[in-house]
Amino acid sequence: MKQISIKRRLIASVLLVELVSAVCITGLAYVYERHAHLKSFDILLRGRADSLLGAVQDAEDTGDNVMLDGSQNSLPERDLFEVWDARDRVLARSPNWDGLDSSKHVPDKPQVLTVRGREYRAIRLDGVRIVDPGDKGGGIPRHVTILYGAPLRPMQDAVQGAVVFYALTSLGLLLITGIVMFLLLRSGLAPLSDLAAEAAGISVTSWNFTPSQQVRRTVELAPLASALSTALKGLERSFAQQNQFIGDAAHELKTAVAVVKSSLQLLTMRPRTTSEYEAGLERCQLDCERVEETVARMLTLARLESESPGAAAAEHRFATSLAVTAREIAAQFESITEVRRIAIEVSVADAVTADIDPDQLQLLCSNLVLNSIQHSHPGGVVRISARIIRSHAELRVSDTGEGIDPEMLPHAFDRFYRGDPSRSRKTGGTGLGLAISKAIALQFQGTIEIESQLGTGTTVIVRLPIERSSKPFSLA
Amino acid sequence: MRVLVIEDEVRLSENIAAALREGAGFAVDCALDGETGWQLARNPSSLGTPGQASCPFSCYDLIVLDLMLPGLDGLAVLKRVRATRDRTPVLILTARSERKSVIELLNAGADDYLTKPFDLGELIARAKALIRRGKGGADPTLRLNEIELNTLEQTVQRDGRYVDLSPMEYRILEYLMHRPRVIVSKRELLEHLYDYNWEHHSNVIEAHVSNLRKKLDADSAQSSIETLRGRGYRLSLSQTAVEASAPR
Repeated sequence: MKQISIKRRLIASVLLVELVSAVCITGLAYVYERHAHLKSFDILLRGRADSLLGAVQDAEDTGDNVMLDGSQNSLPERDLFEVWDARDRVLARSPNWDGLDSSKHVPDKPQVLTVRGREYRAIRLDGVRIVDPGDKGGGIPRHVTILYGAPLRPMQDAVQGAVVFYALTSLGLLLITGIVMFLLLRSGLAPLSDLAAEAAGISVTSWNFTPSQQVRRTVELAPLASALSTALKGLERSFAQQNQFIGDAAHELKTAVAVVKSSLQLLTMRPRTTSEYEAGLERCQLDCERVEETVARMLTLARLESESPGAAAAEHRFATSLAVTAREIAAQFESITEVRRIAIEVSVADAVTADIDPDQLQLLCSNLVLNSIQHSHPGGVVRISARIIRSHAELRVSDTGEGIDPEMLPHAFDRFYRGDPSRSRKTGGTGLGLAISKAIALQFQGTIEIESQLGTGTTVIVRLPIERSSKPFSLA
Repeated sequence: MRVLVIEDEVRLSENIAAALREGAGFAVDCALDGETGWQLARNPSSLGTPGQASCPFSCYDLIVLDLMLPGLDGLAVLKRVRATRDRTPVLILTARSERKSVIELLNAGADDYLTKPFDLGELIARAKALIRRGKGGADPTLRLNEIELNTLEQTVQRDGRYVDLSPMEYRILEYLMHRPRVIVSKRELLEHLYDYNWEHHSNVIEAHVSNLRKKLDADSAQSSIETLRGRGYRLSLSQTAVEASAPR
C-alpha cells in the first residue's frame, strides 16, 4: 500500500495553488503591461508624427507646393515615415522606407508593418499644415498625410522584462512559502506525530497509552486521545480478565489431569491385587468424570460470557414457571440428597413466572441447589422459594451449611473461587457454579446476590424480570 | 524420612502421599490448605495428639508445597518457613510454568519445582534427591564402614552381602546413615519416621532397632549400632575411616 504524508500533501497543495496564482498574475501582468506600453507607444508615435507635421514647409515654388524641412528632423533613425500631400505626392520618406504600400492605412488606427523582418507599429496622421500664418488671409492650409512607424522591439523587451520580473518574484515566493510551510507544518503537526508515536507503542503486552500534554491540549486530537485511552483501558481490563481466566482454567485442568495421571501411575507403581486394581480404576474413573465436568462447565461459562449481559434475544418472550423448575430440580437431586441425608424444601406458588429460557433457568437453579447441597452437613435443609416482588420474580436458594467467611463473600461469584476449597474439592465442586448462575441471571436482565453467615448458612437471591424490557440492558 | 505435603486437591494429595510412602518409604503428613500446612511445618504435633515438639527446626525432611492454595498461598507459606530459618528442602508443585513465577519461587527459598501434571516417578526421584542434598550428600548410595545402603532400590548390603530388612528397619538405618557420628534420639527417629500419630509408635522403635541390629550383625563380630543409654542411637565408628558420603 502506498503511504501518503499529510505534511507533504498539504505543502504540495499549497504550492500548487500558489503556482497557479503565480501563472495567473504573470499572465495578467503581461496583458496589462503590454496594454500600457502600447498606449504610451501610440502617444509617442503621434508626437513624432506631429513633429514631422511641424516640419512641413512651403516649398516657395510656383506650384504652391510644400516640402519637408529635413534640417529640423531630429527623429530616431530607426523610425519609418512617409509624408505625402493631398495630391499624393510623396514629400519625404525615411531612409529605411522600403517601398511599402501605404495606401491601405486607415487614419488614426495603429498598424503593424513588417520591414526587412522587423516589426514596426505605425499610425497614419491626416493633418493640415497652415503654411505662412503671418500672410494675409491667415495663411494657406495644406493637407498632408503622414505614415509614421517605430520598431516594436524596445517595447516588447520592456514588456518581457516586466513579465520576467513578476515570474521570478512569484517563483521566489513559492520557494519561501515551501520552506515556511514545511517548518510550520512540522511544528503544527507535532501533536499528531506524538499521538501516532504513542499509539504505535501499544501492543498486546504493553497497553500503556499516555498522550502528551500537547496532544491533550489540541482541540482536534483531544477527543481521539481520550477515546483511545478509554478503549485501551477497557481492552486491557478484558485482556487481563481473559488471561486470568485462561490461567485459572489451565490451573484447574492441569490439576485435574495431574490427579488422573498420578492415580494411574500410583496403580502401576508395583504389582497389585485384582481388588486393588479395581478400586484404583474406579477412582480413576471418578477423577476422569471430574475433568469432564470441569471442561463442560468451563465451556458453558465461556459461551454465556461471550454474549454481553442482557443480550438474550429479546424477541423470544418466556413465561417460565419457577414452581415447575424448582420441583424438577428437587427431583433431580433426590438421590444425592437422600445419600447425604439433606432435605430439599420447595415453596413456590404456581403463579410465579419469569421471562427466562426454561433450560437456562434450570441450569441456573441446579447450579445454586448443587452448591447448597455441597455446602450442607448431613441433616441440613436446602430451601427453594420464589415470590413476586413488583415487576420481578425473586428466587431464593438457601442452605443450613457452614456459611461463607465475610472476607470471601465478595469473591463468591468469581470463577474458580471456592469459599472453602478443601471442602468443596472433596464434594466435587468446580468453583464455576455460582459464576455460571450469575452469567445466566445477567443475560436475562436479572440480578444475583449472596448472603451468608458463618455457621448458619448461605442464601442466594436471584431477581428475574417477569417481562424483560426490550431496550438494551445496561450495567449501571 | 518424613515429608509434609501441602496440596488443596484432595485426590492429588492422597496420590502423592501414597506414592511417597510406597515408592520411597517416607512417612507423609498431608495438609489441605496453607494455614494448616504452616502450622504443621512449625509444629507437627499441632495435628493429632497434643505433645511438645522436640525438634529445634522442622521435623520434616522435605516439604512438598502446592503453589495455589486457598487462604495462605504456597509462596506465603514458603516465605514464612524460610523466615524461621528452617532449612527443610521445599519442592514446589505448580500448574504455572511462567519463567517469572519460577524465578520468584526459587528466589523465595524453594529448592526445586515440578509443573502439573507431573510424573509420580519424577516426584519421588526429586524428593529423594532433595532429602539427600538436605542431609549434605549427593550419592544416592550411602556408605558407612562396611554398610552400603541404596536409596533407589531401598536395599542394604553388609560386606557385600544383602541384608533383608523390613520397611521400618530400612527407614531407621537410612536415617542413621544420613547422620553418621551423630547421636540420634529415639524421639528424633519417631518424629522423622512416622507421620503425625507417631506417639502411638513410641514403644516399637526399640524393638525395630533391636531387630535391625540383629540382622546387620548376623555374620559380623562388629556391632553396627551403638545404644547410648538415655541419649539415643549412633552408627558405630570403631574401625575404618568414615567414607566420603559422610558429611560431618
